[in-house]
Amino acid sequence: MKDFTKMFLNLTVVGSVSGVLLAGAYHYADPLIQANRERELKESIFVVLPEAKDYKIIEKTVDKQKLVVYEGLGVDGKPVGIAFKADGGGFQGNISIMVGLNLDYLRLKGIKVLEQVETPGLGNRISEPKFEDQFKGLEFTPRVEYVKNKKPDRPNQIQAITGATISSDAVVKNINNYLAKVLKEFPKEEILGAASKEDGHRTMTSTEAAAQKKH
Amino acid sequence: MEEKTAEIKQGARLVVASSPHMRSVDSVPGIMHTVVMALFPVVAASVYYFGLRALLIIVVAVVSCLVTEYAVQKIRNKPVTIHDGSAIITGMLIGLMLPAGFPLFGVFLGSFFAIAVGKQLFGGLGFNIFNPALLGRAFMQATYPVLITTWVSPRTVQKAVDAVSAATPLALWKFEAKATLLSDLFFGNVAGSLGETSVIAILIGGLYLRWKGYVNWKLPLGYLGSMAVVSGIFWLYDPLRFASPLFHLCAGGAMLGAWFMVTDMVTSPTTPLGQWIFAIGGGVLAIIIRLFGGLPEGVMYSILFMNAFVPLINKHTRPKVFGEGVKE
Amino acid sequence: MAEDSANSLWYEFKKGLWQDIPPFRLVLGTCPTLAVTNSIKNGIAMGLATLFVLICSNVAISALRKYVAVQVRIALYVVIIALFVTLADMFLAAMFPPISKALGPYVPLIVVNCIILGRAEAFAQKNAVVPSLMDALGIGLGFTMSLASMGFVRELLGFGTLLNFRVLGDWFEPWIVMILPAGAFVVFGSFIALVNWISHRKAAGSSSM
Repeated sequence: MKDFTKMFLNLTVVGSVSGVLLAGAYHYADPLIQANRERELKESIFVVLPEAKDYKIIEKTVDKQKLVVYEGLGVDGKPVGIAFKADGGGFQGNISIMVGLNLDYLRLKGIKVLEQVETPGLGNRISEPKFEDQFKGLEFTPRVEYVKNKKPDRPNQIQAITGATISSDAVVKNINNYLAKVLKEFPKEEILGAASKEDGHRTMTSTEAAAQKKH
Repeated sequence: MEEKTAEIKQGARLVVASSPHMRSVDSVPGIMHTVVMALFPVVAASVYYFGLRALLIIVVAVVSCLVTEYAVQKIRNKPVTIHDGSAIITGMLIGLMLPAGFPLFGVFLGSFFAIAVGKQLFGGLGFNIFNPALLGRAFMQATYPVLITTWVSPRTVQKAVDAVSAATPLALWKFEAKATLLSDLFFGNVAGSLGETSVIAILIGGLYLRWKGYVNWKLPLGYLGSMAVVSGIFWLYDPLRFASPLFHLCAGGAMLGAWFMVTDMVTSPTTPLGQWIFAIGGGVLAIIIRLFGGLPEGVMYSILFMNAFVPLINKHTRPKVFGEGVKE
Repeated sequence: MAEDSANSLWYEFKKGLWQDIPPFRLVLGTCPTLAVTNSIKNGIAMGLATLFVLICSNVAISALRKYVAVQVRIALYVVIIALFVTLADMFLAAMFPPISKALGPYVPLIVVNCIILGRAEAFAQKNAVVPSLMDALGIGLGFTMSLASMGFVRELLGFGTLLNFRVLGDWFEPWIVMILPAGAFVVFGSFIALVNWISHRKAAGSSSM
């Protein structure tokens, strides 16, 4: 019986003390971690929408799937473009890309590869500016395409990385997939309309979002 | 030496599977020098299509292998066995598996890895689990993935200052859905590794080896046969999407692998059943990698993969000694 | 007496640096050794995170050793280790997000690093706080050194850089394999061989004298 009490006390005391310590640490660390994430997201949005100074989160639930786009806001608070994340499988693992969409809904403003685990020296060159910059001003009707070993001759084409066709293909595929969804669910009129008045969708600027998280 | 050779020649009638395999050093040089002879048509074809640069790469690979073997054996205070010719063959095969524009430092590095890690670290000839040449090639594939897939068009190396870069027939099929003329494949007039392009040169060398009795016919037959059968099934299913079996046999490293690497005596099983399992398994894998893998070519990894199973295959296909294996 | 204990404390410290150096001699903690040593920076960060957890857990377990119920000691140690690991993880995520991202899941995985539970079982639960601290310092620094040297070789050959400074010129074509898992195994094996070779020579040298 004495043993039992000792075991019980042992685990209870150590467990509770650890819990209290962790809760305390979390209290201090969590706002910082959230702020880091926020900053990272902001930076990646601003890379693909260079004129943006702030952004607004627009969410929609379609078929139980949450779709999120970020509407970039310029100095005067007017929308400058739409950014969204495109995730999908690459050669070795997930590739996550931030895509910037021009407000005319005809061209891309740019892309930024956020996460990838492609082969170093080959596939991971998708995150080099040389590859990413090809998407600046790229047209996407009917879809983004890639060509190999030659200069693109149409406004909706990019050049794939030599020796890394699979990774290049994955990037293009992800962008096309998400682009189709965004074009369907967030039509131009709606976005531009929402800029002037709230129309039922949950929208908030990043500062509002941060304020809401604190509560 | 006579005894061992006779044993191999009679292999079909009288199966004497010795394990570990080629321990008797006396018999090794004879076999090895015949293999070197058999590789000469392949070397000649590579020089014909890719110029003197091909010869340079092969020579650098052979010299690097010999130097590495000598150095490692000296350091470890083991008898030096560079005269047995096995390092020469490893070097030649490494050279023949590289593209014409491969940097010479890379050739040295691959050869060094093949001999030092692939062979001597396991205890030298007869103890290595993996084919050293393929291991060196795999190391190069991981080390210089861009350089090793930068191919040049045949017959352009001498003419222009910059050789014309091109894709291999397998890559053309896989990524651009373009077919290659079978006659070009057969004679070797395509982009690829130095020694893998010319089917006819490899066949001459391989059949010479077979005629000398140093190639166990089960291994190339099982490997190429299973490649043909598996690719044939897919080809019949959808001839537009999948290439013909003949294409698969003639393209890439299938021929070179089947005749000179699957047949490596040290890294293939000793029992007849085991040899079938090994060869067929390799052929099936090669086609699966080619059709469904990320890479266009699967011969190298298929053979290395099967190499790893050789001890297991040997163990389970060992003929039962009389009286053994009776159920209780 | 005082000198004696100072000597033994010094021994507890220094054994982790060579004689019991964790990945190369004890072959413990191989998971982070292989996974996060593709650069010196990552290796050192991982090593320091482990060092922190090791010191805290060794000290805590040694301090509590008289009150611990033998039957539940492993559960108890795991809770204590997990506490410090979570603290380290949160600290890195809050203060050094790039490092936290580079190390990924391997910081939380320190919980299952054999070195830490191993030192708790083998040392901290039987020894006083100060020797346990020295033990943790030595083993932790040895681990950090090992990870840094793995990172040194892999970063030098895999990127041609050291601590992100280009040290090998443009003539050097980086060996991609060194950044990949295969290269980690090759370098790890070479280090084990090197450490064994040196100690064999040392042993041979001392016995012949």
